[in-house]
Amino acid sequence: MGVWMANGQQCILELKGHIEDADSKQKLAGATVFIDSLGIELVTDDKGDFVFKNLCAGTYRLRISHVGCETIEQNIVLTKSRHVDINLPHLKNTLSEVTINAMAGIQNTGTKAELTGKALDITKGENLAEALSRINGVSMLQTGSTISKPVIHGLHSNRILTINNGVRQEGQQWGNEHAPEIDPYIAGKLTVIKGVDELKYGSDAIGGVILVDPKPLLGSPGYNAELNAGYFTNNKLYVLSGMYEQQLKTLPAFTYRIQGTYRKAANVATPNYRLNNTGLEEQNFSITAGWKKHQLNSELFYSFFNTQLGIFNGAHIGNLSDLSDAIANDRPDPVFTGQQTYSIERPRQEARHQILKSKTFLQKGKHKYSLLLAAQINDRKEFDIVRNSNNLKPQLDVSLVTFSEEITREWLTGNAFTHTAGITSMQQENQYAGRYFIPNYKSLNLGGYYIVKWNKEKWDIQTGIRFDQKNIRTNRLLADSIVFDEYNFNFATLGASFNAGYTFSKQLKINGTVTLATRAPHVNELLSNGIHHGTATFEVGNINLKEEQSLNSSINAIWSNKSETFSVQGTLYRNQINNFIYQQPKPNEPVLTIAGAFPKWVYQQNDAVISGTDIATRLQPLKQLSFTVKYSMLRAKNTDLNDWLIRMPADRINSELNWDFEDGKRLSKTFLSVGLLYTAEQTRVPDEKNGAQDYKDVPAQYTLVNASFGTTVAMFKLPVTISITARNMFNVVYRDYLNSMRYFTDEMGRNIQFRLKVPLKNLQ
Amino acid sequence: MKKNILRMSLVLVTATMLLIACKKDKPGEGNDEEVITTMNLRFTPVSGGTSFTYTFDDPDGPGGSAPTKNVITLDASVTYNVQVTLLNKTVDPVEDITTEVIAEATSHRFYYEPSTSSAFVVNNLNNDANGVALGTTSQWTTGTTGLGTIKVTLRHYPGNPPNKEAADPVNSPKSDTDIEVTFNTAIL
Repeated sequence: MGVWMANGQQCILELKGHIEDADSKQKLAGATVFIDSLGIELVTDDKGDFVFKNLCAGTYRLRISHVGCETIEQNIVLTKSRHVDINLPHLKNTLSEVTINAMAGIQNTGTKAELTGKALDITKGENLAEALSRINGVSMLQTGSTISKPVIHGLHSNRILTINNGVRQEGQQWGNEHAPEIDPYIAGKLTVIKGVDELKYGSDAIGGVILVDPKPLLGSPGYNAELNAGYFTNNKLYVLSGMYEQQLKTLPAFTYRIQGTYRKAANVATPNYRLNNTGLEEQNFSITAGWKKHQLNSELFYSFFNTQLGIFNGAHIGNLSDLSDAIANDRPDPVFTGQQTYSIERPRQEARHQILKSKTFLQKGKHKYSLLLAAQINDRKEFDIVRNSNNLKPQLDVSLVTFSEEITREWLTGNAFTHTAGITSMQQENQYAGRYFIPNYKSLNLGGYYIVKWNKEKWDIQTGIRFDQKNIRTNRLLADSIVFDEYNFNFATLGASFNAGYTFSKQLKINGTVTLATRAPHVNELLSNGIHHGTATFEVGNINLKEEQSLNSSINAIWSNKSETFSVQGTLYRNQINNFIYQQPKPNEPVLTIAGAFPKWVYQQNDAVISGTDIATRLQPLKQLSFTVKYSMLRAKNTDLNDWLIRMPADRINSELNWDFEDGKRLSKTFLSVGLLYTAEQTRVPDEKNGAQDYKDVPAQYTLVNASFGTTVAMFKLPVTISITARNMFNVVYRDYLNSMRYFTDEMGRNIQFRLKVPLKNLQ
Repeated sequence: MKKNILRMSLVLVTATMLLIACKKDKPGEGNDEEVITTMNLRFTPVSGGTSFTYTFDDPDGPGGSAPTKNVITLDASVTYNVQVTLLNKTVDPVEDITTEVIAEATSHRFYYEPSTSSAFVVNNLNNDANGVALGTTSQWTTGTTGLGTIKVTLRHYPGNPPNKEAADPVNSPKSDTDIEVTFNTAIL
């Protein structure tokens, strides 16, 4: 029982409900009700009521949460439209949420944007940055189409923290061609947050924080499985991902989940030619085990990520003359194009990331204590084209081991205050072999934070402060093991944030945030020294760099008309960054080597301001029809030089027309959507009068058309979801300013993506 | 309950320790074995006489101290046999890279490009097994006196097979640059 029963029925049922505080019998407005299987979330109105419409008959699992209340999960069997009353216990053993912000509720977290449910499903098979770029204000920094990094409001790499299932991901994220080592299939939700909640993860989130959160573990006995498969025509990418989770009837305190993904792709085709050596292969898996009894909730998590990436060999450059030759061509030489193969040759990357994490919660009255312990090992190997074909070694070989510990306490005072305080520590050791680029180092970090949130009626006020102390000891050894260079650094960094939100009416909400973040320079900025293969530059660090400090103010407003057929959401931000660290080309100081002269790039600091706006509007003239337009605009200036900053995202407009079909006898949740993505030419680039800053002119504007069709069909009594997406439907030839391969090649051509999702549930 | 947490933490710390224990040990600095620090050009007059050597030398590899470079000074109207030697001085003992290049002769090639004013020609490059120029040895024939430059380039074919052909220009997309050194020359 409990398995899907939609077969032969119409999906016209309604599920109404009313939510009350179990103790005070107060109507709970602003509680969120989430249906896992559909990815739909509703918020209760002033009377504590909610309505889900157009549901099929079947069993649904609801997850209900509210500030200061226990999050509960409940199964509802729906055979006809019905009404349910739900009582939320007032914080006794609120333990089913694994994420740290469980008590903070869902809608009151300052500035944030999420990708979940259908919007996330439609990105499956793509990498993390590609998925995140669906969020307004997030773009991608790319090295070809296989290596992408998320960019939030113009900032990336060490200026963004990525939190993988509660753990601050630590790898070699300083490199522009080092993509985050995360399997997107692990995520039930991707969130970008800014503001007060950043402080839980560090004082250095100048660009923001990305949360990669799995779905909560099962809350009732039974099992749940999901199989995802995908095939992309352009690069013959296929992906298979499976998940199985279970809670035993005989041992209901214990829950586990296993999950794995295999992804493999051949060479990428642009509209006019196929790029050699652009394949990828990825093997990932994770295991989660949870124990929940009385007030104790514990979770053990292990994940393994392993990827091999080919790098287009027409862009792997030995010296400056070769680079000029390659860049001067309109298209790559035929030597570098035309092969259709899955095999990956040099130059290539191998990256492996392992996380072992444990998190334990203890609930005592109005207090919740948690202990997080995590260990991470990041191994990165980069294989250049080598002179000696017998050389099988990587040329860049770095491994980073990170341990982190965190103790937090959350508690309530009065009816409206939620407090969170935490102490965190982190120990790191980095080791390299092969070519020197960054040194060996050991770093120690000790931090503490305090956040308080006050939430009453129409007001939502949050504020927090964080302090971190970081010590870095570096050394570089010669072959004879005599210490060659030793540098030690100490950095103290402060973070603070204030957020105020006011709900004028159901139609209008306004939220303002001011955040101070301080980032210690990373080891690569301090001490890198060497040829950056691929870009033919000689990069030099600067040991005199100071902490980078940003003051980010933003205001966010949401307005909708009474019938909710039209809504506008707008964000306006200004990020003032003092001592912004960037690389400055020094055209008059080339570094002479035996392979010729290399342009020297040095790290330096200036004050900068990044400001911009993200606007999203949604028009829903008919129940089935919706039209959304998202616009994002950013201006980034070096205020000391009064010049533009290099490599910043151009203005973008993303519009989408979506038609949701009425559910039929066999098909449900059927939709058809067409999207138009316009990216302007980036005209705001550094002035060339200070010397050449770029190798090639900025690429022209481009417009891409994407289309998607999806439906859920009952097959063997299972709701199988099938979708087809065409990316770059008209095979447009274009190059993107934020892709370093733009010097050499066009972007990927048409890509038809097929996806299949089969859930299998048996829950009580 | 506190005891439970304690026990749990202990288990986790142990697990963490195990994870560390499995971590591989890396050697200090495995130097970049791909480095060429030094190019010696040894000149011997065909008609006999003492040999002499001109050098490009960057003993600490790219970066660090700037490399030193001789001016190639030759007598007028003489033909020299020239032999190239490549070294990696960042390792002890010093590694001779020339043998490696000769061993993979079919995927390496030296190019010698004197400037028009330099008043000498380079020819008679030695060949690889396929009869295509390798250039670890060559003959330089000087004319009248003059000043100029010569660019010495070592190209490497990463392909398999390398497809190295006689007609390949110095900037052929089939090959990459390992060495590109321009010497000043003086024919006296």
